[in-house]
Amino acid sequence: MELTTSQFVIGYYTFLLGVSCFGAYTNKRQVFMLAFSLTLVSFVLGIVGGAAALKAIAICAGMLAIAGMISFGFREFLIQIAEGDFGAGIRNSGSSSVVTLILVAACIVSGVMGWGFTEILIAITILFVVITSLNPETAKELRTAPLTAAFGMFVIFTYAVAGIFAPWIAPFGEAEVISSAFAPPDENMLLGADQLGRDMFSRIVYGSRNSVGLAITATVAAFILGAGAGLLAATKGGWFDQFMGRFADVIMSIPSLIFALLMLSIFGPTTPVIICAVAIIYAPRVFRLTRAVAGNVVVMDYIEAAKLRGEGMWYLIRREILPNSTAPLVAEFGLEFCFVFLLVAGLSFLGLGIQPPTADWGSMVRENATLISFGDITPLIPAAAIALLTVAVNFVVDWMLFRSSGLKEQ
Amino acid sequence: MGDIAGLVGKRLGLGLIILLVISVIIFFMVELLPGDIAQAVLGQGATEENLAALRKEMGLDQPAIVRYLGWLKDAVVFDFGSSVVTQEPVTSIIGERFAKTLFLAAYAAVIAVPVSIVLGVLVALMRNSIFDRVANVLTLTSISSPEFFLGYILILYFAVKWGMFPAIASLSEGMSFVELLNRAFLPALTLVLVVVAHMMRMTRASIINLLASPYIEMARLKGAPPLKVIVRHALPNAWAPIINVVALNLAYLITGVVLVEVVFVYPGIGQALVDAVSKRDFPVVQACCLIFAATFILLNLAADVGAILTNPRLRHPK
Amino acid sequence: MKSVKDQMLLDKLADAARTGSISRRSFMSNAITAGLTASAATGLWSSSAKAAPQNGGKFRVAQHDGNTSDTHDPGTYLSYAMILLAHTFRSYLTAIGTDQNLAPDLATEWSATPDATEWTFKLNPNAKFHSGGKVTATDVIASMNHHRGENSSSAATALLASVVEIVDNGDHSVTFKLDSPNADLPWIMPDYHLPICPANADGTINWQTGDGSGPYRLVEHESGVGSRLVRFDDWHGEGAYFDEVEFIIINDPNARQTALVTGDVDACSLLENKTLGLLSRNPNIEVDNVGSASAITIPMHVDVAPFDNNDVRMALKLAIDRDELIEKVTYGAATKGNDFHHSPAMPYWPDDIEQTPYDPDKAKWHLQQAGAEGLSVSLSAAESITTGAIDMCILYAEQAKKAGININVVREPNDGYWSDVWLTKPWCLVSWGARPTPDVMYTLAYKDDAAWNETHWKNPKFNELLLQAKAELDDVKRAAMYREMAIISRDDGGAVIPYFPNFVYGRRKGVKHTGQLAASWQLDGARGASRWWFES
Repeated sequence: MELTTSQFVIGYYTFLLGVSCFGAYTNKRQVFMLAFSLTLVSFVLGIVGGAAALKAIAICAGMLAIAGMISFGFREFLIQIAEGDFGAGIRNSGSSSVVTLILVAACIVSGVMGWGFTEILIAITILFVVITSLNPETAKELRTAPLTAAFGMFVIFTYAVAGIFAPWIAPFGEAEVISSAFAPPDENMLLGADQLGRDMFSRIVYGSRNSVGLAITATVAAFILGAGAGLLAATKGGWFDQFMGRFADVIMSIPSLIFALLMLSIFGPTTPVIICAVAIIYAPRVFRLTRAVAGNVVVMDYIEAAKLRGEGMWYLIRREILPNSTAPLVAEFGLEFCFVFLLVAGLSFLGLGIQPPTADWGSMVRENATLISFGDITPLIPAAAIALLTVAVNFVVDWMLFRSSGLKEQ
Repeated sequence: MGDIAGLVGKRLGLGLIILLVISVIIFFMVELLPGDIAQAVLGQGATEENLAALRKEMGLDQPAIVRYLGWLKDAVVFDFGSSVVTQEPVTSIIGERFAKTLFLAAYAAVIAVPVSIVLGVLVALMRNSIFDRVANVLTLTSISSPEFFLGYILILYFAVKWGMFPAIASLSEGMSFVELLNRAFLPALTLVLVVVAHMMRMTRASIINLLASPYIEMARLKGAPPLKVIVRHALPNAWAPIINVVALNLAYLITGVVLVEVVFVYPGIGQALVDAVSKRDFPVVQACCLIFAATFILLNLAADVGAILTNPRLRHPK
Repeated sequence: MKSVKDQMLLDKLADAARTGSISRRSFMSNAITAGLTASAATGLWSSSAKAAPQNGGKFRVAQHDGNTSDTHDPGTYLSYAMILLAHTFRSYLTAIGTDQNLAPDLATEWSATPDATEWTFKLNPNAKFHSGGKVTATDVIASMNHHRGENSSSAATALLASVVEIVDNGDHSVTFKLDSPNADLPWIMPDYHLPICPANADGTINWQTGDGSGPYRLVEHESGVGSRLVRFDDWHGEGAYFDEVEFIIINDPNARQTALVTGDVDACSLLENKTLGLLSRNPNIEVDNVGSASAITIPMHVDVAPFDNNDVRMALKLAIDRDELIEKVTYGAATKGNDFHHSPAMPYWPDDIEQTPYDPDKAKWHLQQAGAEGLSVSLSAAESITTGAIDMCILYAEQAKKAGININVVREPNDGYWSDVWLTKPWCLVSWGARPTPDVMYTLAYKDDAAWNETHWKNPKFNELLLQAKAELDDVKRAAMYREMAIISRDDGGAVIPYFPNFVYGRRKGVKHTGQLAASWQLDGARGASRWWFES
């Protein structure tokens, strides 16, 4: 059934006004404000842009609603699993960390040996960790999660699935040439082809493995280096603290892009070198933050007490200092994570990024970037993939930050 | 205030040592790069004989350590030598370019800093509202696109489609100040989009972080309006982390603009540095890196001093 | 059907009409003699005469590949930006004309002794440097000596290696004495390293001040940023229609093209092939796509296994789908190669040599002959070699799979590629700049004792023909020799030559040229500034 334009416009305003009235009647302030301000905005845009603008708003609102519903469903799903407490048995038996270690080791061995089922092992490991950490306690916290955070978690979940099972999901190989250059989307290719005639969708899916994998590895490495050094420096103090502080200053004072450029020119632009370079560049930032946060914790009375009890340094760091400084570190992780993407994309702009034909979102933006000047949206697809993940990660981070700030209002 | 002077003096001394260490690191990294200046200058057409002749002409036949010490001896009296490739004095190569880089950075900072702090206060005030979420999504999206791509999009709309601003930002002498601002607008806007998110989020986070403190609770219970609570009570204590992030981003505006310079053909120092690296022209690389490092150190120092000055408790230590 | 001779006459007439050096009456009578009807002749007259160049305007060019550390030293010219600039403010002894033939620049005429071991160039008596002095034989000798001798740091020493002595004849002419015959010496003179600079008293040249004898005088120059030039009214050549010329260095392809689209510049070098189709839809922009003599080669060391077996070499030549590479890597902007390093843009090009096709089955057969089924080889490449270099190797690898050959693409770092990979690794990707003649190219990289013999190929017949052709002043005989050399090179040589990339550059609608473009460099042989004009 085709709607005529006037039918659409009438229906559009009726719906918005209906929702506003409903909100006002039931005293749902947020609903009313949202619906009514949308009505006012639509008046203006409708006059300026005509029915097309209204349709665009309707589509956006529809997509937002779908995203909201998915997020709501996903959050409820997580809460249900958490309340079901499937991991209780394993947790109570106290063997969860042992099993986790075994699984991680199995993943690494399988990855190194090139066995075919590495993907499945990784999936099992992640599933295991998630399930054992979901308990009624977390269910309570999950209930406080705003929809945005749930949306973030859903997106991260989707990316993780896409990344882990890339070879099964992608219809073609990442380097497979299947059509002519820049072929438009058809029934074989969801998003069309790239400059060599490779399937864009497959490359995006593989990119979620390569790019996200690289970004996570590099960020985690930076955090292990930086946070480790920061905690040590805060606990030990003295010359070690001084030395590490100045050392971090030196690295931070060298512009990051130039430092990466030099490193990659010397050692060649291979993935391990990129990871090392990025880790070295970002570790000092993490160090400074950790040092500052842990510095505040170290002077607390309970640390003093633990020291008097004769606890070792390792215990102090692990059981006292770290748990009390995670929040800012997690927040930092969210931002650093997307900065790593950008640095790698910037490197590929200077010709030093991940090796082709490996699919990498940053390089994919780079390879086709000039097309945007002619209104071709090909480069927007990988750029949107990066943006969506960044937004998602930071939504989750925002929620964690909010939770740890102890603010209980609203 | 004597404490602050002492702190500044100590930090400046430390800064000099850091600069020395950096010069050593940069020198030997440039040395380690595959190929040498002679090869980079002559390219594919090089033969052994003219490579040797060129090396001798450029003084590359001496060992690396001798060349470094020679450079250092002059550098301590602020003589940064001449480019190995063009024989031009380094100061004349990068002097004007550095001024242009500073201009662009200042331009972007003048827009970005107030915008992000005001936005940060506003979203902290209206936290978790639609406005908060939209501001968050927009700024996060803008920092998650690579800079060069943001630049291309801005060029497409502002220069090609609407013709509001010039696409290439090549500055020349004799331009009026207004014209300079007009020419450099698109690169400045790109930089603004890149740095606003970080500063805004930190402002928001550090204010929200304080909202649970007892004294804020107290102010709220007294019946102070939310805006007043934030501006008068929370913000003064939140300055330290905000200033830190602002300093970090200002440093980025000066040292990290290579890509924006390339995209907008802006004749700043970043392009000179990348060119010098590809030609192994170490006096130029050294001078650029030291300028960047000094900028970074000074900004950091300014941030620390600023943090002390804005925080009453740090200003009057017990 | 017009004969070739008549067509040439018509072309000349159209040229004359364009430059205004012929009256309408004599144009008409000549055109009708050449076999044109009166109305067709009138049409030709009006279309040519309308295109008569006009003086005036400021010509702004967006130029790629400029570097902050570029200098005016002709011996170390490397970036395209400096090559373009050199052709605009300096002069060479000879030039490549828009008809791809040798044209006069500073030298008005040149001649050789019958054995081609001595070449005499007569200098143009009107030629002047911008600073006022005449261009003399002393300047020419000093400029050439800059690239000769043991202590020269110039990259052009190899070009002039056979020159024993350069003599000032005292009558405004110089004579080059060679140690072996070389019929192509005048063709070497347009090489971008060899402009004529004013001589110093001690026999060196003054390259530092930016003085030259070209069509435009350098007013302002900042390396890596741009330069500004104004017309030199005393120039000895014809053309230089613009009042002022400005080169703006824009290394980013998108920024360059955008500047052209928005009208910030009037012409733009090196368009990105990827967006060529989209750009040419813009009604304000004209794209020039010119076949060139630059080349992409994939040389194998023929003395290293498995490339020492000619069947393996043939298999690799048959396993490459040149058409797909041209379509996907250059988006059609290239001329197909046939494994001999002689492009249609060079003189003496043999047009009747059978093309080696993409034939995986035949490649397999050759592998069987060599007993090398399931061949696996490594191919080194770096992204900086040419646009899409790695993409190209990956495509080649996919194509070769059909012939049962496994090509393992090794990405080498851009830095140090010429010193660590080229001439060292047994199989790698190479790009060659345009060389004026087959002799120059073959002598540089295919002669048995050449320093840059990138394939280590030593074919006696080929080398014999090369030396014969070098000494042969008769064009027809030379052409036959080059044809034979091409066939030997295709069937036995070590280089796979997929294509000769075209020069692709753009200009705004208002910028006009004669329609014929020199193929030696971008922007009409780097002489667009002195050959093009604005339509009023």
